[in-house]
Amino acid sequence: MENFDLLIIGGGAAGMAATAAAAPRCSVLLVDSEPRLGGILNQCVHQGFGDGCTGPEYAAALIQQVEASGVSVQTSTFALQLFPNRTALLSRRSGVFRVGFRRCLIAAGCYERTIGALPVSGTRPAGVFTAGTVQRLLCDGYPVGNRILVLGSGDVGQIVARHLVQSGRQVLAVVEQRNRLGGLARNRRDCIEAYHIPVLLRTTAEVLHGQGRLEGVTVRHLDTGARQVIACDTLVTAVGLIPDRTLCQAVMENSALPGWLGLCGNCDYVHDMVERVTAEAKRLGGEFGRMEL
Amino acid sequence: MDYADVAVVGAGVLGCFAARALTAYDLRIAVFESREDVCTGISRANTGIVYTGCDTKPGTRKAQLCAEANRDFGALCETLGVRFSRCGSLMTAFGPRGVVRLEKKLSQGRANGVPGLRLLTPAEVYQREPLLARGATAALYAPGTGTVDPWELGIAAFENARANGAAFHFSEEIQHIERTTGGYRLETSRRTCAVRAVVNCAGLRADAVRELVKVPTIRIFPAAGDYLVLDHDLSDLLRHVIFHEGEAGKGLTLVPTVDGAILAGPTDREPGEDWAVSPEGLEALTALCAQVVPDLPLERVIRSFAALRPSPRHVRRENRVWTVDPRAIHDFTLLEEDGFISLLGIKTPGLTCAHRLGELAAEAAAHFLGNPGKNAGFDPRRSPPPRLHGMPETERALLVQRNPDYGEIVCRCRDVSLGEIKEALRQGASTVDGVKRRTGAGMGRCQGGRCIQRVIETIAAEQGVPPALVCKDAPGSAVLTGDDGKL
Repeated sequence: MENFDLLIIGGGAAGMAATAAAAPRCSVLLVDSEPRLGGILNQCVHQGFGDGCTGPEYAAALIQQVEASGVSVQTSTFALQLFPNRTALLSRRSGVFRVGFRRCLIAAGCYERTIGALPVSGTRPAGVFTAGTVQRLLCDGYPVGNRILVLGSGDVGQIVARHLVQSGRQVLAVVEQRNRLGGLARNRRDCIEAYHIPVLLRTTAEVLHGQGRLEGVTVRHLDTGARQVIACDTLVTAVGLIPDRTLCQAVMENSALPGWLGLCGNCDYVHDMVERVTAEAKRLGGEFGRMEL
Repeated sequence: MDYADVAVVGAGVLGCFAARALTAYDLRIAVFESREDVCTGISRANTGIVYTGCDTKPGTRKAQLCAEANRDFGALCETLGVRFSRCGSLMTAFGPRGVVRLEKKLSQGRANGVPGLRLLTPAEVYQREPLLARGATAALYAPGTGTVDPWELGIAAFENARANGAAFHFSEEIQHIERTTGGYRLETSRRTCAVRAVVNCAGLRADAVRELVKVPTIRIFPAAGDYLVLDHDLSDLLRHVIFHEGEAGKGLTLVPTVDGAILAGPTDREPGEDWAVSPEGLEALTALCAQVVPDLPLERVIRSFAALRPSPRHVRRENRVWTVDPRAIHDFTLLEEDGFISLLGIKTPGLTCAHRLGELAAEAAAHFLGNPGKNAGFDPRRSPPPRLHGMPETERALLVQRNPDYGEIVCRCRDVSLGEIKEALRQGASTVDGVKRRTGAGMGRCQGGRCIQRVIETIAAEQGVPPALVCKDAPGSAVLTGDDGKL
């Protein structure tokens, strides 16, 4: 079994920044389940990362830092489980194996809350996606529908709405239950206003229609109670990100993280700006690189 | 024209078990299913509870079958390589009316020969289920109650029936049946098939299929129910199946599934064919969950869905007018009419009894055909495909060494590998939901958000079709569809 001072799980912005900061101080293994580093930066093809960079450009700079640091990187490698004896079970095409470590940072990001968590009734047709899934499908050149309703107007919802319009689809509306759009002011300006995307405030999705593919969504105005059916073939939900801490469960000590384990980036809490993720991860990576355990 | 000895109509869990039981005889079996895969109708949504039979009226066919089936369920699952958890159940009472009800169920259960039934004191109840709402006055403990993955069970029966020689024809709806001198002639959307006997397991359409050749006697009215699914790492919260019935009616069933999720439901709705989840149902379920297990983390609900159950009723012709008996038929109905065998209105505990009902239907067909000999090659065992989640580390490592696809994780929520997905496709899955039902990919907390692309790409590659043609389930449910984008 190979041993490392620090195991970092997840090669997005947080994991890469932490790796670069810790590398001069200790031996590091960075693992990521995807074939290439970058995490969700790879599917954020819009500008708004660091100095006018796109997500992939921002990722490229961090990848360079990771490569320059000379640490071990294993992509296409899935961390199955952590054990209290400070080993991790990893799975990849070439085998299932354990690595030992003294400290571990989990930078596994988030998963998306889905329509299944909402009190939305009706059928369960094809054509209902989360925003992240749609971003990725668009990046890989797949069609995701023509007439689209977006549920949720946080940064993710606004950005995906613009992405859909830019790729030639019709976004019928962004539906938001609050009385104003969520997210950063710049996204409101650059995504919603610049592309004239209709917005339905104080409105929520209530019923899905369609047997095979989605055919429409009943939305309800929260104040007037007025309902309307919006005919659409696709519903994209941007209704929340939940830190993916699945790996922590097996090693929790009295519902607290053991001293050798840290959470980093969106896996710790959901950030609005990648610059903050990177700054925090650098600090945490440096700390975990120095920590005596 | 094709020929078979027996045609089975419908490949739900009943049809698959009937086909499997028929392959034990020296007969040629053809199964016709209108949809693209097994278990897409009533079997598609089910609590997965293996009932003991203490809920059933003594002296009925249902009571007898259920007690037998429950006793043998472990052995059946062992033979078919299906996960089964005999977790036991608590039927709770929260007041004097409830206690009277439990006492009645207890004596009913004992009359049905259900072993191990016992009334628990409140202290015993909370020892078993600490999170149950305060105020329980008693509970009926049934140690024999279990849970099974209903898809896994149906799919296992299908695979075993197929391995023993049954020919399954999917996406072939029965359009016409005609009585002939030698039996029946079936016309499907693709072929004509002459058979000597028919076993009708068409579920919600079993009445319609029967009425292609017979006069109406029972009509099936679908009744819907809504369910909630809670995330799959909550199994510590509940150890037993909970049957809650409040003093004022309105019951709730909570099921710790074999996958570690918690299933809540179903609600009762008026008959009407509707796979749609009702808003009232969702509201009622959330309220009941909060009432029965106040600490149940409802923010961890990951899905809601609706299921259909048959509600069979007698129909009669009086003075040239057809009338429907307002009372639902509670027992199972198995009709044998000139080699046309129909299983009608098989509802709870239909899943528990599916294997026995399949055997009974097969016996009826065999009897009609003059008791054909046994199929010497029949092997009741089915070896399940590898399931990596929870597999011992060394075994997992060996598997990956032999086939690298098992090392590549596609569904992160449920730890499902590419190898498992490819195996599901080899075993007959053809849709995203077909893969989900066989592997669990897409059933976790991200509901397929992180794996659906890979699953579709794998289906497309294995079947040699463009990804745009891959469907969620039924035809018309393409996922990656639209006017633009590359294919």
